[in-house]
Amino acid sequence: MINDVTLGYLILLLPLFTFVVNGLFLGHKHHKAAAALAVTCNGLAAASAILLAIHYFCSSFAPQKAILFEYEFIPFVGELVAKIGMLIDPLSVMMLVVVTFISFMVNIYSIGYMREDRSAGRFFSLLSLFSFSMLGLVVATNLFQMFIFWELVGVSSYLLIGFWYHKPSAVSASKQAFILTRFADSFFLLGIVLVSYVVGSFDFSVLNSLGLAGFKYDLINLGICEVKRSTALVIGSVLIFTGGWGKSAMFPMHIWLPNAMEGPTPVSSIIHSATMVVAGVYLVARLFPFFAICENTLTLIMWVGAFTMVFAAVIACTQKDIKRILAYSTLSQLGYMMFALGVCKIGQVVAVTGWTASTFHIFTHAFFKCSLFLIAGSLIHQVHTNDLDAMGGLRKKMPLTYVCALISILAISGIPPFSGFFSKDEIILAAFQGRHYAVFGLALFTSGLTTFYMFRLFFLAFHGEPRHEGVKAGHVHEDFAMTLPIVILAIPALLSGILGKGLFEKFFIPGRLHVPQLMRLAHADWIPLAAVGIAVLALLIAWFLYASPKAKIARALDETNRSGLYKVVYHKFYFDEMYYTVVRQFIFGGVARVSRAFNDIVIEGLLAFCIWFIHKLGNLVRTAQAGYLPFYLGTLIIGVLIWRFFGQLPL
Amino acid sequence: MYSIPHFIIPDLILLVFPFIVIGSRLFCDYKSKIPWRIANIGLMLIFVLLNLIPLASGEGQFFISNWRVDDFGVLMREVLILSALLGVWLSKDYFEHGADGKPQMHQIAEFIGAIAFATFGGITVVSACDTLTFFLGLEIATIPMYALTAWNKKDQMGTEAATKYILMGSVATAFELFGFSYLFGFAGGLHFSEIHAAVAAGTSPLLWVAVLFLFCGIGFKLTLFPFYTWAPDVYEGAPTPVTAVLSVTSKATAIAFLAVLVYGPLAPIQEQIAPLIALLAGVTLFVGNLGALKQSRLRRFMAYSSIAQAGYIMVALLGPAEIGKTAIVYYLFVYAISNYLAFFVFGIIGHHREETFASLRGLSKQNPSLAIALAISMFSLAGIPPLAGFFGKFHLFFSGATTGHYMLVTFAVLNNVLALFYYIQLIKSAWVDEPDGHLTPLRLTKRQRAVVIFLSIGVVAIGFLPFLSNNIFAGFNY
Repeated sequence: MINDVTLGYLILLLPLFTFVVNGLFLGHKHHKAAAALAVTCNGLAAASAILLAIHYFCSSFAPQKAILFEYEFIPFVGELVAKIGMLIDPLSVMMLVVVTFISFMVNIYSIGYMREDRSAGRFFSLLSLFSFSMLGLVVATNLFQMFIFWELVGVSSYLLIGFWYHKPSAVSASKQAFILTRFADSFFLLGIVLVSYVVGSFDFSVLNSLGLAGFKYDLINLGICEVKRSTALVIGSVLIFTGGWGKSAMFPMHIWLPNAMEGPTPVSSIIHSATMVVAGVYLVARLFPFFAICENTLTLIMWVGAFTMVFAAVIACTQKDIKRILAYSTLSQLGYMMFALGVCKIGQVVAVTGWTASTFHIFTHAFFKCSLFLIAGSLIHQVHTNDLDAMGGLRKKMPLTYVCALISILAISGIPPFSGFFSKDEIILAAFQGRHYAVFGLALFTSGLTTFYMFRLFFLAFHGEPRHEGVKAGHVHEDFAMTLPIVILAIPALLSGILGKGLFEKFFIPGRLHVPQLMRLAHADWIPLAAVGIAVLALLIAWFLYASPKAKIARALDETNRSGLYKVVYHKFYFDEMYYTVVRQFIFGGVARVSRAFNDIVIEGLLAFCIWFIHKLGNLVRTAQAGYLPFYLGTLIIGVLIWRFFGQLPL
Repeated sequence: MYSIPHFIIPDLILLVFPFIVIGSRLFCDYKSKIPWRIANIGLMLIFVLLNLIPLASGEGQFFISNWRVDDFGVLMREVLILSALLGVWLSKDYFEHGADGKPQMHQIAEFIGAIAFATFGGITVVSACDTLTFFLGLEIATIPMYALTAWNKKDQMGTEAATKYILMGSVATAFELFGFSYLFGFAGGLHFSEIHAAVAAGTSPLLWVAVLFLFCGIGFKLTLFPFYTWAPDVYEGAPTPVTAVLSVTSKATAIAFLAVLVYGPLAPIQEQIAPLIALLAGVTLFVGNLGALKQSRLRRFMAYSSIAQAGYIMVALLGPAEIGKTAIVYYLFVYAISNYLAFFVFGIIGHHREETFASLRGLSKQNPSLAIALAISMFSLAGIPPLAGFFGKFHLFFSGATTGHYMLVTFAVLNNVLALFYYIQLIKSAWVDEPDGHLTPLRLTKRQRAVVIFLSIGVVAIGFLPFLSNNIFAGFNY
């Protein structure tokens, strides 16, 4: 009997099953079996998710929330109970489809990509763990469950980014990603503790139906100082957002994401499209009604998002590493999603178009970004380098890839009728309606930049003369397992916008809000035209610079005669260097040295003393055992005396 | 016709068993395998018959009003018979050739008879209803051990060990008798129920002197601090199979003695003697662990390890009767299997090399299966989770914690870490150290291999299949 609950279990348990079986049994020797199992199970999970989505959206029940199952597993004090459950609402259903589908595609792709890797079994096992943890996060019914899976996502991403652990750069990148997101997560945990302390519940249903008014007057003791409960909630909301801030790699915690490119490309693909980085945006979207009541938290979110969007797009224009360009483009797109959630707040009222736009963009972005990464992986697999310098002229050799790349790039650039157009248009419109004109301007400008750097990548990789010996010699082909998912993904990259628009506008509202809501909004018909105009202009510039017959590609790629500004941008505003200076000199140098000294002298000293002392006692016992019989007999008498006096008998 | 109650049959068989084994020697020459076969069949038969006795809760069943068979008694019988059987199996090889620098032993029939007598002594202890039978049981269990220790007449070390053992044992026996005489003076009767009634009615210094001397006397057999001094010397001097029997049968008898005493006639004052038990337990396990840290000879090491184990078992005596007895019986099963596994491994090594840590070097490369068995037994003795030893220790500590002795339990758990340190040392020798080219290669006979596999599976299975232990717990109706 297949009902929705069974489907829910299937979606969650199939990837877990794959992880366990591959990890324990198949991973070591049977790579093919591991791959087959991973693809089958993830495919079934994706089918279940799609079936569930069809059930859900076709029923009259649709935009309401439902809990498919829920188990209590840690009872804290009183009402505070940690539960594990499965929440179903439009947002989580949409995410289930995205995560399982992307994971399915990436698994297929990995068959080709990891074909010659010795530890492919481990890879398939970890990949399933990754999607399982993201699924658990998506269906969380409460903050506690979300945090558990949030950490699991972190751990599995750590394992996957550092998958090639023999490469020092991969190890350091995985460490950086893990430590940085853990750093942000510690604030998240603090936020959870604070909020659950004030509210007395972890449940999203409770948190999302709060009104601040009830908390205005009571004071609460935070240990350091007494504050109003409402203030505590606002602090808690900022702390919780900090978790998403780090996970979604918003400025200035973005640096781990481009460096995480050290992992295998399928991993980058799934991190950037469906898991991990989307978790931060999902967190804000999930708790949107809660954030909406928390004074200016949404405004903070908006500015963080908007800044990251522009910042990353500017850097992406100068990079030459194809995966890094895509990484910065993800940052930029995440910035779009974040600020779209933030712009909903207009003074004291809220307009929900931004929420719809943001979730819509998560949906469309997943497909074209996944596709782009898979394409990048295919190219890298053929030319064995990430560098655009060495590509070029791949159009004829990889025609299917070429067409799919064009579709995805048009989608990310926001050219109609490709999917990105619809969601991005809504985001820009939301900024306009929210009367945040500065952000609106930035968004339009960034949309131009996006088109520019994506087409720069496109022209340099596919057009022009081949710059790679292997390509010239014709050693390039399209791998079936790798091209299939790219082609499949091109379909939603093309169509998910048109088809999804109606669905999102009908069902995707963030739930009942406890703040005044702005219903009548100005609609500006000229915005799509302006956005497309800017995009087309940027496309032409890119064509002129990199693909027109007059373009001097050699000069465009030459680094020697560049302005200072270009160099600053090329070096990502020297942000990595600044970060390292702070971390190395201050944290490792100052704090770490002191704590290390404490560790060396006090703790290890105590430990050494204990060991020395115990060994001395051991020697004592040993020397007492000299084999001298009168001594032994004496111990019997002495023993009676000892226990006579110390045995605490009432003698 | 007078009918014999069925629950007494195993005891009767065990009683005549040594005479049959020894008597069979009259009809065959000294090389014959007949005594050995009779021993195997007899002990297995007894073990099977014991398993057929339905466990009855409450007072148990009485035979001629003075021989009680209750559930604790039946399970203790199983432990003792298991120990005897494994001891006989272990000893067989020592009658075929010498080991660990000691000459070959002779007279296997008498050897088996002695072990069976000692086992019968243990059974008498758990069946006794009055102090006289009780004391006699303890003596029947002890005296064959003196003989067993000196079994190898050509080995001076063994003779010396036996001398020490018998001298100290006599003093301990004197303590026991002294304690019992005071107890008689206090209660005015020998029967446990009379003593129980007298103790419940009120205490007097006479009683406390009796308790003190009884504990000190049994402290000798149970190797409690500071009465353990004979153990390392005797364990090292005695032949290896005797050491194994000493460490299991003798210890099981002694702890059964204490359990019968504490949960029987002395039950009304259990609370008052709890501090003494706790102190004995804490100091003993600490000293045992300290002593084991610095050993290089395997049997001496096992002596200290078993001293520490005695301390751990004592912790359970603090708990209420059912939980305490259950924990003790379960732990004794686990301890018997783990300990015999260790001794089998050491025995196999001892047949070809010296029984020292150095002989274990590179064992994992030369004989991986033996190294795995060694690791299993050591981890079980150290109480590492999935193995049986962990659950055993868990029940012991749980019993102690039930009555609120958290300090002692914490101390015991911390000591477990210390214990892990030296058990790991042994595993390190076997797994990490490079093989030494001078060591003679190891060969396993079929019997040795079968027993090692059987015991290894036992240790793992009891850990992984807790329902096996539930069968033991089912006997005690909570």
